[in-house]
Formats: sequence, structure tokens, C-alpha cells
Amino acid sequence: MIKNYLKIAWRSIKSDKLFTFIKVGGFAMGIAACLLIALFIKDELSYDQQYENKDRIYRVVLQGFMDGEIKKSVHFQLPFADALQSDFPEIEKAGKINMSELFGAGKRGLRLTGESQNNFEDGFVFANQNILEILEITLVQGNTKEALLQPDNIVISKSKADKYFPEGNALGKSIVLDNNTSRPYTITGVMPDFPKKSHLQFNFLLPIEDTNMSWTNQNYFTYVLVDENASIPALEKKMFSIMENYIIPAQLAYGRDPAFIQVLKTVEYKLQPIADIHLRSDLAMGDGLKHGDIRFVWLFGAIAGFILLLACINFINLSTAKSANRAKEVGMRKTVGAYKNNLVAQFLTESVLYSLISFLLGLMLAWVLLPTFNEIAAKSILFPWEVWWFVPLMASSALFIGIIAGMYPAFYLSSFRPVNVLKGSLSVGSKSGNLRSGLVVFQFAASVILIIGTLIIYKQMDYILHKELGYDKDQVVILEGANILGNKSESFKAQLLQLPQVQAVTKSDYLPIDGAKRNGNTFKKVGEGIEDRGIPAQFWRVDYDYIKTLGVKVKEGRDFSREIASDSINSMIINAKMAQDLGYENPIGKYINNGRDWTIVGVVQDFHFKSLKEDISALTLVVANNDLGAISVKLKSDNIGGGLAAIEAIWNKNVPNQAFAYSFLDQKFTQMHEDVQRMGKIFNSFALFAILVACLGLFALSAFMVEQRKKEISIRLVLGAPFKSIYKLLTLDFLKLIVIAILIAIPIGWYMMNRWLEDFAYKVDIGWEIFLSAGGIAMAVAVATISYQSIGAALIKPLKSLRTE
Amino acid sequence: MLLQLNNIFKWVNSGGQRIFLLKDINLTVAEGEFISVMGPSGSGKSTLLNVIGMLDNFDEGEYSFLNEPVHTLKEKNRANLYKQYIGFVFQSYHLLDDLTVKENLEMPLLYKKVGSSERKSLVADTLDRFNIVGKKDLFPSQLSGGQQQLVGIARALISSPKLILADEPTGNLNSKQGEEIMELFKQLNNEGVTIIQVTHSEKNATYGSRTINLLDGRQINALNG
Repeated sequence: MIKNYLKIAWRSIKSDKLFTFIKVGGFAMGIAACLLIALFIKDELSYDQQYENKDRIYRVVLQGFMDGEIKKSVHFQLPFADALQSDFPEIEKAGKINMSELFGAGKRGLRLTGESQNNFEDGFVFANQNILEILEITLVQGNTKEALLQPDNIVISKSKADKYFPEGNALGKSIVLDNNTSRPYTITGVMPDFPKKSHLQFNFLLPIEDTNMSWTNQNYFTYVLVDENASIPALEKKMFSIMENYIIPAQLAYGRDPAFIQVLKTVEYKLQPIADIHLRSDLAMGDGLKHGDIRFVWLFGAIAGFILLLACINFINLSTAKSANRAKEVGMRKTVGAYKNNLVAQFLTESVLYSLISFLLGLMLAWVLLPTFNEIAAKSILFPWEVWWFVPLMASSALFIGIIAGMYPAFYLSSFRPVNVLKGSLSVGSKSGNLRSGLVVFQFAASVILIIGTLIIYKQMDYILHKELGYDKDQVVILEGANILGNKSESFKAQLLQLPQVQAVTKSDYLPIDGAKRNGNTFKKVGEGIEDRGIPAQFWRVDYDYIKTLGVKVKEGRDFSREIASDSINSMIINAKMAQDLGYENPIGKYINNGRDWTIVGVVQDFHFKSLKEDISALTLVVANNDLGAISVKLKSDNIGGGLAAIEAIWNKNVPNQAFAYSFLDQKFTQMHEDVQRMGKIFNSFALFAILVACLGLFALSAFMVEQRKKEISIRLVLGAPFKSIYKLLTLDFLKLIVIAILIAIPIGWYMMNRWLEDFAYKVDIGWEIFLSAGGIAMAVAVATISYQSIGAALIKPLKSLRTE
Repeated sequence: MLLQLNNIFKWVNSGGQRIFLLKDINLTVAEGEFISVMGPSGSGKSTLLNVIGMLDNFDEGEYSFLNEPVHTLKEKNRANLYKQYIGFVFQSYHLLDDLTVKENLEMPLLYKKVGSSERKSLVADTLDRFNIVGKKDLFPSQLSGGQQQLVGIARALISSPKLILADEPTGNLNSKQGEEIMELFKQLNNEGVTIIQVTHSEKNATYGSRTINLLDGRQINALNG
């Protein structure tokens, strides 16, 4: 029997190729989209799952209420971890990591002792021995127990070991960092590369060199391994004793005013499970790591569900749409002896067969699209063929969805009474018109919401990438690893300025992009109220040409000048936000103090030195002679290539032992907003998917409607109805539904996108034109889809559909 | 006696009025009869056939088929009854377009759960008997109307029903094809199959052993045999 069912199903699939194509194609697209999203979500959720003790590893977070908002921080004092370990028996181990570039983490020039060629490497970090143990880093070479105990130890990753020591043994080899031959490091361990799905990604672990045991400097991420029986909330509460016993006394001794101490008394310590760090970290923590976002995981999950639902709805609609043709078959089969359950089984078999084919196609489609998807999502997801449950899961899903989607048509069709269908008196499907209209409205509302989302994301992206930033990011080349120049940097700069292609050159590690150096300080107004608890601001060390090179506008006062001797001693330029925070109407000539006094000589216009998700905060600039490693060159607009070549020639003359590497400021800026762009692209592609699927659904429904009304149309045509009136008759009904869908979608889309935009400090307005164009697009697509059927219907030969009577 | 209808009424209510489709039909059919039902359009011929075939219900009266009181049976048992004993032949053949001749013939047997080897031999016999062996792998659309109706009749007969109900079996055929089909019915009747046919044609009616005339749902000059 089943063979017979399959044969019939196969014949019916073959007999109407266009219909089958739409039915299977739409379903396959839905499945492919769903599968890709599922893989994406699975990938996002699988970060930091590799630790044996993952339920016991936490990152410490400080949470306080300040200036009316919750502030979080993950930076702690050098002695913090040690105090945790000694004061709380529940904490088995506490480790610390310093990722700050101020200390020399990040990028460094590296070479083997005895060689001359420097290599520019990234991923340097300072960590203590406990980190190796907490993060379960088992060295592939070297002794895990003592690899980071001595100040000249260095642990390198397997891939870097393979790069520098292809013959195999890296252990005990000596390396030099940043030309500092007086202080070589000895490789004491080779660690496996950090898994791709780890929130931490390092290549070189250095022992902590910092010896400043002060309780007032915060530079260390602190990770703890907690005893399995410990109560986390209780431990979090107990941890406040660190604040009471160490930090507050130290701050009082430092001379902090009572207001600040009051704030400290309200903060809380929290323990963040290591597996939560990737997806559930606030931007406000400022940990500088690349994160996922749990909200996007939910959003994409919802989209995947939507698309699958749309595809299933289509599947059902297409099956019932064809029921007029199948009704005769049902009647016939019943008269020759078929029972209802025979027919149900037959239609379910057919539906499962469709579903299996769709799944196969969907799998193939997803497999073909995966590389593109990986590129867009910056992932390296692989198809989990080798996972034992993958193929059975797909097969059983196909079976399940096939049965679910086939259920309605199967029972609907098999319930036809033979005498009715054979007599031709049954108008098929007229009963469930409301359900079907509801499904159309649902599908199109979902599509319109996605279109609105797409348009707003696009508009916001465009806004960010073209916003007036307050500085000129174009044609600025950043020379990577220029700190290698050391004391030659001033003459190097002079040589660059000789080049006709170069407009300006500046030296400073502080740049308005992610990954550049940052240095938060607290300032007090000199000679005013002692109650003031200090104004936090960035404190950047720059050179005389910084403002000129970046094209920042001086609003009041003046730029730094080499002619004025005091500029290299105690002159300071602040941004407008700092002036506002200080509360100075006219800040020029005022003094502020962060341990030493500075005279304000100028105010620059605010410029965006952080991601546009964040507000511009207070900033101060001083001329200094340290932190000037990075060199930025502003080129004249014509002939960038020539400019680069000329710079490279000068570089090679000055630094023969390190390759010339550069990046552009505008590229770095774009990278800074890559996550938004990426999410936008993913969102757009899946929105497109959903719209396509919905259109197929509409196509199916209009086909259904035409099928149903063929006789009516024929009679109208025979009676002399013009083409136009038939077309209108068939199209208007659907357009009404589309209008309802648009009206439903607009408030939902508005609400959702408003929530999304809340994330940005600088955002576009959601104007009416967005809704107009979203509605317009949906309408145009719908009209095009329906017209295909309506025109076909209006052109039928009436005799053909009336002849059977 | 194969079946007996006693005072069968069937009506629909339309706008407060009761319109009779069948009115007081009395009919006894013995095995081996060949009955023609005649009457103008709308006289209730097809309705009567559907009632006899148990495809349609009636509102009043008694119907016994092989001594089973059909009017008291549940829908399901009724369906079992007709599936076992009655074969249908339609004016527009109602073959399944997606199936070949052989598969169309096989279909009733599949639903009766006839075993594979028996099924094959029955299909082969039937193809042979109707002289359509050469057409067994063709689809209905590749056949002429007469040939399609031949397959329709063969399909109705394959599960050896006691009664064949034919609703204008020659209505879509030209006269020569029609004649051939009627000859076939005649021959089948001679072999012992009971046939009730609805027809418009006096000539076709003469193939039958007796004729029932209907007008507005009533029998006229009824001959209760």
C-alpha cells in the first residue's frame, strides 16, 4: 500500500512542476533559513563551554549606582585577586589578567634572540599563574604548574610556536620584545590556541610585571574558581568586606572626599559565570572584548521561528489550494472502496514526501549558503554532519513537519463526500475563508515588520557611517608598531613631513578608534569647593600636531604650540563636554588637577572617540613625551598609493628589521561599527528570505482563489465582463488584506525598532517615510504576485471550465 | 431478491418550501436484472441511482439490500456494504489521470487489501477480458472516450460486484462507441451481473429487461416486479 501511496505522490509531484517547485522551493528556503539561524544561535550559545569546571568559574564584576544609572566595571586592583583568595575559603583560586595597552599588552614587536628581523604580533597579555589553572590551560610543552612564576617567563600559543619554531621545540628559547635586548624572555610553555569560542583570545601570556600594590589603581580582570558547595549570592555579599577592609581605607588615605566614599559604600560585587560573558555582558562594563548579544540571539530565533511558520502555512495553503483538483480523486477513490483513513494516509504520505524533498533541498541550500553566511556573520560555523544526532534530527524533523503540515489538508480533503464532489456541487474550501485570510494577514504583517526593521537598520547604519564626527577620518594612515622607532621617532616624523604627499603627522597612542589607548583620570577644579568628588575624564598624551592632523576644530582658546614653552609643561586642551562637566562658562585660563595642576589653554569641539553607541564623554589633551608610539599620517587627497609607497621607503630606511604595516583610520572606524553592520546584514538577508516565502504564500493563495472561482469567472466572461473588471475583482480582495496587515505591522515595527535604537546614543528618527516605503514595498510585491494569477484568470477560455457541466 | 426500496422519499427545504427529489419510490430488483431508468432532466434519475448506490441519503422510507436494512445502518457500515457489492460507472468516466490503466484497475483491489499475486492475476484477467492488454501502461489522457469508459467499466467490475450502477455511461460517447459499451453491458448481464443504468436514450433503454420512468421524483407506470 505504502508503495502505491508513494507512487501516486510522486506522480502528483511530477504532474504540476511549477506548483511543486513553489511548494518545495518555499519550504526549502524556510528550512534553509531556519537551519542557518539555528546553527548561528548554537554557535553563539556554545562560547566558553569547554571548561571542565565551567559552573565554578566566574568573572568578578563591580556594580554601583552612580549619577542616576547603574555603572559596571570589570577592572580591579592588583592585590584584589590575592585578597579574595586569602579572605574567602569558598574561593579556591583567584587569577588576574591585565589587557591594558598602557602596560604593554596588545601589540608588540617580537623577534628571537640573535635574529634581527622584528615581527609585529598581537595578543599579548599579562596574567598570573592562577589564570593558567582557573582557565584549565594545559601546556602542550612546559610545566603548567610554574610556567608564569618568573618575571622573564613567557607562554606562547601553539600556532605561534609552530610559526617561529617549525622544527618543534620552543621551550627554553629566548625572545626579545620591542627591541629591548636587555630584558629577554624565556619561553616556559606552549599552550593550545584558545578555542574560537572563548571570550578570551590571546597568543602570548606574560607574567605580571606591575608591582604597584595600591588599592586605588584598577587595571585587572579578576577570575575566580569557586568551591562547588559555595552559595554564590552569599559569597557576593561577603565580598563587600574587601571594599570595607582595603579599598575605602586606601581611598581615605589618598585624600578622597566623603562624597566619593559614600558612593563606594553602595557598590556591590557580582560574580558573572564564565559562560555568560560572551552573550550577557553590558557594553557599559567597558571590557574591550568582542561580545555577542543575547538579544540578537532571541531576535534571530524569533525570525527563524517566523520563517518556518510562514513556510508551513504556505505548505498547508498550497495543499488546500490544489484540493479542488483532488476532490474528484477523493470522490472516486471513495466510490471504489477507499476508507477515510486510507485517504488520510495517502495525503500524509504525500506531505511527508514533499517535506523530505524540501528538507533535502533546504539542507543543500543551507550548505551552499553557509560560507556566505559565515562571511556576513564573521563566524566559522561548520555543518555538523559528523555529530551523531544531526542527520536523525533532520530526518525526524522532516517527518514531523511533514505530518503537521499535511494534517489539515489530509483530513480536509479526505472528508469530502463522494456524491458531492462527483456531482460537482461542492465549492471547495469556501468554509475556511476566514482562517485563510487570517494567515495572509499574519504572513504579510510579519513581512512588513521585517521590511521596517531592514529599512531602519539601513538608515541607522548610513547615519553612523556618515555622521559628522568632529574629526576628519579620511586619508589618515596609521603606522602599526611604530613604537619600535623609539627615540628615532622624532627624526622619522621630520622625514615624513618632507614628503610632498604628506599633509601632517602626529605621534600619539590615543586615537578615536577602538583598540587605541585609553586612560581614565579624575579631575578636580583647583581652588574651588573641596566637597566636589572629582570629574572623570580621559587624559590623553599627544604631540603638538595631533589636533591639526585629525582635523579637530578648536572652539575657544588655541591649539598647542611649540613656540610656547609652558605647553610642554602644564598646558591642557579640553573638549566641550569637559568644559560643560566642569561647569565653566569660560574655561580658558582655569586650573584643574589630577595629581598635578594643568592650565586650560583651549577647548576643542566634541569629537566621537568612542563607538556611536556611546555618548561623547569628557576628554583632556596634554603634550607629552611618552605614549607616543603610534604614528598617524594625514595624506593629501590625491595619490594615496604614491604617499604610502613613499612612507614605506622611509620606514624601511629607519626600521630595516620590521615589515611596514599600516591601516587607515576610516577603516578602523568602520570596523568599530562592524557588529552593527554585521547584524544589519544578517537581519536583512533573513528578512529577504521571509518576504520571499511570504510572496510564495500569496502566490499560492491567489492560485487557490482563482481555482475556486474559475467557474464564476467563466460565467462573468461569457456574459461579457471586460478584462479589467475581472482583474479588479480578484485583486481587490487581497489588497484589503494587505492593507490590514500593514496597519497591524506599523505599530509593532515602530515599537521593536525603537527598542533597538535605544542602544545608540546617536540615532536616526523613525519617520513616516519608513512606514510609507515599507508598506509600499509590501504592496508592490503583493500586487505583482497576485497579478500573475489574476491576469491568467481573466484570460482563461470560459468554455474550458464550463464544459464539464 | 437483490434490493428492495419501499416508499422512499427524499427532499430539500428551500425557502420554507419542501421540494421533493424522490417521492414514494417503490422498487424491487432481482439478481440478474438489467434495468434502465429514464426521465427528463431533473426528474431524479441520478438521485435515485445515488440512493441505491448508498452515496446519498434519503429522508423517509425503507431500503433493504441483500436483506440488510440500509436505512438503519450507520454511515460506516453502509459504506462497507456498497464497497463490497456495488460498482459504479460514470458518464465522465472518472478515471484518475495520474494513474495508468493498469493502476486504475488495481486501485479497488488495493483498498480491499487483496494480496499482491491475486491482484496481479485479477488485473491480468480483466485486461484480457476487456481486450485492453495493449493499453495497460497508457494514461487515461492517451485513450479515446470509448476506451476510457471501457476501463471505467472494467474497474467497476474487477472486484466482482453484485450490482453495477451506471449513470449515463454513454453520455459522453459518440453513437458507435455508445453501442459498443451497451453491447458490453448486455453481455455482462448475460453473464449474470445485475445492472441499473440511467439513460436519456430510448435505444439504450431497450438493452434493459425493463424500464423505470421518472417524472419530478415520481415513478410513472411503475412496474413492480
